[in-house]
Amino acid sequence: MVKVYSITSCPWCDKVKKYLKAKQVEFEEYNIELDEAAKEECYRISGDLTVPVTTVNGKDYVLSFDKEKLDALLGL
Amino acid sequence: MGIYDFVVKNIRGEEKSLADYKGKVLLVVNTASKCGFTPQYQELQALYLKYKDAGLEILGFPSNQFAAQEPGSNDEVQQFCRLNYGVTFPLFAKGDVRGETAQPLFQYLTAQKGFKGFDPAHPAAERLMAALQKNFPDYLPGDSIKWNFTKFLINREGEVADRYEPTTTPASMAGDIEKLL
Repeated sequence: MVKVYSITSCPWCDKVKKYLKAKQVEFEEYNIELDEAAKEECYRISGDLTVPVTTVNGKDYVLSFDKEKLDALLGL
Repeated sequence: MGIYDFVVKNIRGEEKSLADYKGKVLLVVNTASKCGFTPQYQELQALYLKYKDAGLEILGFPSNQFAAQEPGSNDEVQQFCRLNYGVTFPLFAKGDVRGETAQPLFQYLTAQKGFKGFDPAHPAAERLMAALQKNFPDYLPGDSIKWNFTKFLINREGEVADRYEPTTTPASMAGDIEKLL
């Protein structure tokens, strides 16, 4: 399952979600502002608390809204 | 009515009484809610780390009332957001800080300390003034909050000691803070 780590009021997170929906990619969103476990997970993956972070396997990830990198990560 | 009579909402929407900060020196700031390049966060965090053990608390109140145009919009654009902007001082729930919908705390603070003008020596002062005249001319008259990063310094007795406009950098306020600590 594709995971998107986000925070509240984050326009770049919204862009990633919109893009994934447009590409009919199913994903789960984790708000690291409200979810302490997700926050730790996000930090473990990227070593920082910046979002959006998109990952499939919890190891490789794309930070920010970067279509090319998202396409590569998700095989679109 | 004093500063300790106000109850505000934290980032999770829970109520927090400012009376919990009695006896501390407070710096109340309206912060930007957007995820752009906002260098004042870093300076505020530096002040916080330097003075928190001596009794300084910084309270940030995000607002999107000035979200449309940042005066420094020619600065680099970063396409991601940082949780709590990388600051460890408390940030409260997003809300309005000016106009009829302003949170009561900001109505009180602006009534205590009015607008005395921008510091023309600040590199962004001219751009900020131009942006206001162009986009928000009705924001200019009166004592209301003019832009993000207006700062109110409150002494240990709860009195509003001074107001600093966005054109005053947090770093340059260190001396005034030290006097109150």
